Amino acid sequence: MRLLEFQAKRILTEYGIPVPQSVLMISPEDLRKVSFPAVLKAQLPIGGRGKAGAIRIARGAEEGASMIRDLFSATVKGYPVEAILAEELIDVQKELYVAYLIDKQANLPLLMASVGGGVEIEEVSKKTPEQIVKRHVDPFLGIQDFLVRPLAKALKVDDFQSFRKLVETMVRIFHEKDATLVEINPLAMTTKGLVALDAKILLDDKAAYRQQDLFKTLQAEQKQLDKRVKTRPEQLAERTGITYVPLDGDVGMIADGAGTGMLTLDLIHLYGGRAANFCEMGGLSNADTMEKSIDVILSNPRVKVLLIGLIGGMTRMDEMADGIVQYVKKAGQTLPIVVRMCGTKADIGKARLKEVGIEAYEDLSAAVQDAVSQGKEL
Amino acid sequence: MAILIDRETQVLIQGITGKVGSFQTQIMKEYGTKIVAGVTPGKGGTEIFGIPVYDLVEEAVVEHRIDAAFSFVPARFAKEGAMEVINSGVPFLVLTAEGIPEQDVLEVVHFVKIRGAKVLGPDTPGLISPGKCKLGVHPHAMFKEGPVGVLSRSGSLSYEVGRVLTANGIGQSTVVGIGGGPIWGLSQQTVLKMFQDDPETKAVVLLGEVGGRMEHEAAEFIGKSMTKSVIVLIVGQMAPKGSQMGHAGAIIEGDEGTAESKIAALEKAGALVARSSLEIPMIIKKIGV
Repeated sequence: MRLLEFQAKRILTEYGIPVPQSVLMISPEDLRKVSFPAVLKAQLPIGGRGKAGAIRIARGAEEGASMIRDLFSATVKGYPVEAILAEELIDVQKELYVAYLIDKQANLPLLMASVGGGVEIEEVSKKTPEQIVKRHVDPFLGIQDFLVRPLAKALKVDDFQSFRKLVETMVRIFHEKDATLVEINPLAMTTKGLVALDAKILLDDKAAYRQQDLFKTLQAEQKQLDKRVKTRPEQLAERTGITYVPLDGDVGMIADGAGTGMLTLDLIHLYGGRAANFCEMGGLSNADTMEKSIDVILSNPRVKVLLIGLIGGMTRMDEMADGIVQYVKKAGQTLPIVVRMCGTKADIGKARLKEVGIEAYEDLSAAVQDAVSQGKEL
Repeated sequence: MAILIDRETQVLIQGITGKVGSFQTQIMKEYGTKIVAGVTPGKGGTEIFGIPVYDLVEEAVVEHRIDAAFSFVPARFAKEGAMEVINSGVPFLVLTAEGIPEQDVLEVVHFVKIRGAKVLGPDTPGLISPGKCKLGVHPHAMFKEGPVGVLSRSGSLSYEVGRVLTANGIGQSTVVGIGGGPIWGLSQQTVLKMFQDDPETKAVVLLGEVGGRMEHEAAEFIGKSMTKSVIVLIVGQMAPKGSQMGHAGAIIEGDEGTAESKIAALEKAGALVARSSLEIPMIIKKIGV
């Protein structure tokens, strides 16, 4: 889960990391709460907001009012602006970059800093990689002085103690909130010390079960601020918990594994068709999951043919067949359903499908070709 | 022998009395896997399918030589379970759970490294050496003994390719599911090296997917150190950027992790690129394994 800036900064504040004073605006009427000059920052779950024009500096109230109206009526990279963080303007001496994250190549936590603050780190690592200082952290050893010193040296930080304290606090947030990234960029050096001007925090969705209150609060806020129009299948998929990715073709697909699902997508393309979506049910699905997945895919009016590719390992084909049969009996077969079925209990599954007139394929490529050609005939 | 497991491998099942654990244990045992012990706290002293059950892993290792353990422990308790197995001196663990918090996986992988052990997974179906040993949940009728090593991020894709190979008369030495990521115990590169060193394996099929940089590292290894032929299939070519494609690790972030960049790196390293599962046996027959 990617936190919005104001959410990330609220966590920093809880842990005592200084951030600029701010007001969160959710409508242009909140203007009266803002004092100028101010930095106006649209709250969006995307990077590169500055370049996209979603961050403005207003010197006075009049200028501010017009910028705020502009921002609230803007849509940036597909996201309508629903909230603006209005912050005091900070007198900055130097902008730095500091992050603590999981390095998936090394399988270790990574402490990273750069003097190139304010710019996206991907850009710094492309243009001036020598500016970035990295130290892997042994998870059982934790943060030590000798790990922080090389960073402080490269950043020319004069107050080592407060820098070390900042790093330690970021690491505490990382562990206590189950983050995969805690990034402060830019971190401003000011006459009053270090101030986090922007922050990005990614939380691990897989740890949501042990961060329930936190996730609940953050998700509720984000839902309220996300006014993107969701399609019917997207809404349904959210409720069922299956993986659903909308695409722009007309062959609807469902798979019982991520790898075969992606292969199916590639094969649809290879045989000249266009997929309407990607859908994976997950390892422990049952008849009910199957039936609901069909509901999701067929709620997309563009779908002309449905391709169900099943290769049971953990999933049982008799149960999958039951799900398909349940759907057909309930809704009738309004469009062609092509099924590929093999693996655990496939014989029983295929026999049950026959009863509703579906002849399941053994081979995936044959099933994909059939689905693509049936879609073209319609 | 095949890689990682063979006929003589003695196995411990962690979570042996659970619903999935007991169901899969019975199938593995029938396949011929030497399951010598099971662990479920509170069930010590009982038996299941004739296998003795212990409360603690440390009790089981006193009574039996354990070469490998298979964990059916659910995600939220998986770290604790894995640490117990490794702390008891078991050299190889298959961690099947999906959805283990990343910081937990990181600690397990690190502890395993410190102890000089190996962990496969998480989010893996395990591995199978057809005809010899099955330490996994594969639909094993799709596999047969032979000279081709298979490694895959996806379980389902390894079944698909195993089935196509078997149907074309090509058997497999070992089929290894390394897991859905984004953090892996054994990496593609590590498993490739095992296949390179295994005399029974004549060629290797690498099944990769979008997301991350692991295939680039594998490509580097193939270019430098593999003398055996490597056939690759990278799925997710049609995956849109920024969408998670069913696996935690299968997501194209920015320009990183696209299928094109992986295919280009692997092709440059001398790997043979298949466009579909059906092309894999065709390529293998052409090079004559």
